[in-house]
Amino acid sequence: MHSEMKIKLQLGLYFNQTRCTGCYACIVACKDWHNIPAGPASWLRVHSIEKGIYPNPCLGFFVVLCYQCIDPPCITVCPENAIFKREDDGIVVVDRKRCLGRDVCGGKCSDICPYNVPQYDAEDNPKMQKCDFCLERWSEGKKPICVCSCPTRALDAGPLIELQVKYGDGKKGEGFNYSERCKPSIIIHPKLYLAT
Amino acid sequence: MGSVKRSINQEKEVMSGCAHHCGGICLWKVHVKDGLITRLEADDGPEPQLRGCAKGHALRQQIYAPDRLKYPIKRIGQRGSGEFQRISWSEALDTVASQLKRVKDTYGPSAILFSYGGGNVSLLHGMGRIIGRLLAMFSGYTGTWSAPSWEAALFASMVTYGTTAVANTGDDVLNSKLIILWGVDPVVTIHSTNFTWYLIQAKEKGTKIISIDPRYTESTATFAHQWIPIKPSTDTAMLLAMAYVMIKENLHDRVFIDQYTMGFDKFRDYVLGIEDGIPKTPSWAEPITGVSATVIEKLSREYATTKSAALISGIAPGRTAFGEQFHRATMTLASMTGNVGKHGGEAAGRSLGDQYPFHTYPFKVGPQMPYGDNPVDKEAPIRNIALKRYKVPRSYARVHFAKQADAILKGKAGGYHADYKLFFVFNGNPVNQHAYAKKWVEALHQLEFMVVMEQFMTSTAKYADIVLPTCTLWERNDIIAGGTTPHYVYLKKVIEPMYESKSPLQIAFELADRLGIPEYKDKSEDEWLRMLIEGSEVPDYDDFKEKSIYRVKLSEPYVAFKDNIEDPGNHPFETDSGKIEIYSQELADKQIPLLPPIPKYFDPPEGPNDPLTSKYPLQLITCRTKRRAHTQFETLPWLRELEDNRVMINTSDAKARRIQNNDLVSVFNDRGKIVIPAMVTERIMPGVINVPQGAWFSPDEKGIDRGGCPNVLTNDEYSPCGALIFNTALVQVEKA
Repeated sequence: MHSEMKIKLQLGLYFNQTRCTGCYACIVACKDWHNIPAGPASWLRVHSIEKGIYPNPCLGFFVVLCYQCIDPPCITVCPENAIFKREDDGIVVVDRKRCLGRDVCGGKCSDICPYNVPQYDAEDNPKMQKCDFCLERWSEGKKPICVCSCPTRALDAGPLIELQVKYGDGKKGEGFNYSERCKPSIIIHPKLYLAT
Repeated sequence: MGSVKRSINQEKEVMSGCAHHCGGICLWKVHVKDGLITRLEADDGPEPQLRGCAKGHALRQQIYAPDRLKYPIKRIGQRGSGEFQRISWSEALDTVASQLKRVKDTYGPSAILFSYGGGNVSLLHGMGRIIGRLLAMFSGYTGTWSAPSWEAALFASMVTYGTTAVANTGDDVLNSKLIILWGVDPVVTIHSTNFTWYLIQAKEKGTKIISIDPRYTESTATFAHQWIPIKPSTDTAMLLAMAYVMIKENLHDRVFIDQYTMGFDKFRDYVLGIEDGIPKTPSWAEPITGVSATVIEKLSREYATTKSAALISGIAPGRTAFGEQFHRATMTLASMTGNVGKHGGEAAGRSLGDQYPFHTYPFKVGPQMPYGDNPVDKEAPIRNIALKRYKVPRSYARVHFAKQADAILKGKAGGYHADYKLFFVFNGNPVNQHAYAKKWVEALHQLEFMVVMEQFMTSTAKYADIVLPTCTLWERNDIIAGGTTPHYVYLKKVIEPMYESKSPLQIAFELADRLGIPEYKDKSEDEWLRMLIEGSEVPDYDDFKEKSIYRVKLSEPYVAFKDNIEDPGNHPFETDSGKIEIYSQELADKQIPLLPPIPKYFDPPEGPNDPLTSKYPLQLITCRTKRRAHTQFETLPWLRELEDNRVMINTSDAKARRIQNNDLVSVFNDRGKIVIPAMVTERIMPGVINVPQGAWFSPDEKGIDRGGCPNVLTNDEYSPCGALIFNTALVQVEKA
């Protein structure tokens, strides 16, 4: 059971929703950095949340990527054990060679993930792909590409306990539901909507 | 050459920059392996980092686009059919040169119409210098007049302050207690890099931010505490009403006004109704603008009493039928409230800056390639509206930027200075981006020859006889200076020009050979750039080139007119009176009723009060989108998948027309029709629609545009000072 797995220093994401302008730089930065073609697979998505009626609309955004859950349900349901959580930093990684492919497996990981993190490109029996928290960059002392690209510095990343000290332990945000089952490794500074 | 860093996968890292016509200047760490750009990183140097936008991250898809123009091509089908055949560079350039000579010899140089835009705004290859200088040296040419982005703002700045260098650097908003964004959407327009970051920081410090805009933009949603929707083309009325409140309640800074301005009394008389019997009260402004009198009163008091307050006037409200009055009015209010020349204040000329070195911090820049003396300009007298100090060509021999199609169509018979036979297009996309697309389609068939320098098969390139492929930004060297904190950026070449593309300067050199003007080739690209830097504050050219950036070290944000306010005796304003001219004697002397000496409100034709609203009830505005820079990047898959290109329409207007979200609708008026999907939303005021500009004009066999290009609908008239009026038009919308 992965909730019992001891992670040396769990990494996490900080998202300041009040700073996010919905500019989409992060989406394209991720596509470029990881060379993901335009198409159905997007490791990072930005949801826009609109509420209210003219002249009092409200608009905000929420960034959706793999939140490197403390207890990832995708790992539990994968029939091939193709998904695992790294012991050093808690990054959740898929081994695409082990993955059976969505058509064979039925996409059990994407069915169970509350955040629609598992992605597939437009090919037959696509293998699951997902945000890997730019694990390659950490080894060079660099933060994920989305964090480094944000024009309003709405994102940060690092050891979760350090983020908690720096930013608190907010789990609420418009357009986001913190899953107690999965425990996503994310701290949020929420945008408060003027009207609902 | 400094050390070459190698990272994971043994990729070389090269610093460069980007400055497409977005308003920004950003840095890029370009990863290169075996001569191929593999991926990009945003600036990871010291803060304030110059991080780019979504478009910048997609640059690989521009550079390696399969639909890039690879070779010179010549037209083989009907003009506009898009049927071309590949030819060699020597055939292409021989043809262009011989056509230039033929037209010059047959009709005279005024028959050569040269059109350029802001497709690239860097200091050497950008704007029109490279070809302008070439044509001036060869024969002369008919040029255009009016700066399309912001002629109204430039004109108003010259009249009011005697200069166009009127803006504080963007980081100065950190000193503001109140920021009013008037038609400003930096999330999408950038304008400039980091301005959104400074607005975030200001907001987090407790600065109140108010956004005045017909749309509830991402900028409004993120930064503003209050959104004030306003009918397009009516902004001046609200500003005058604000002045009324300040005057009536004695909130204006009379000490500042007395010391630094002239003509306030005449403005006051107009505002109070002494001049024309119409007091410009908030109740007067309410039906005109759609903004309630209460809101206007509250804003005036806030702006008048908060010190310092920055009124940031966007340039979109200046692209209206009387746009110069908007800018004159914002500058007048900035003066009435004493916010000129102060930290946290603003002379209300913000949008005049940041991507150019000449509108804010006074960069030292060595000589740029000159446009040179154009003999055709001397063939006709100077226009009456030309201002003494505004040193730009204003000869009647020039064609107004918006009237190029009209001029080609009508020539001398239409009152133009010449009949135009040859059309040379560089750094621009006039068929797509100028008003009244239908005229372009008709006009271009009149031409004897048309040459376009381009990277992609744009709506304009489709009509050419010859298209010359230019290389992209990272296949040549250039420099730019500007910024929310001032910096010089070296837009460094990363790879060799791809396919057979050439840099604009290279193309011009080869044309110069054929035109018999070897003097054009006096300096290489590197020599021009070194000369720019030699005359600048950058101490070491090679170090600057390697790092791609030189930051000007300022102890505090730059404030325009600080000296004029702190030491007026030694630093008078550069106007005739030496003061801020709320009243301009120069304008009074011209006796042009629609260019009065004080800011005034005029009801615009095709505005919300025009009787034409019975036929075309909706006001059209044409705003930018985050997936393009004007027409650039339109075919890039990573950007296309971000959002659909749709017309924004309020839920109530859509419901009345039985239009649902994503339905195909037609938007039309007497000038033309487009078909485009609808975005039904609460985020735009009823009575107004937004068709995003830059979408590629794609007429079907019936002449109906299917690309969503708003310039099928916009008006090619211009404001009294010469501003383009994209944001003053009336349309109707129906389910398609």
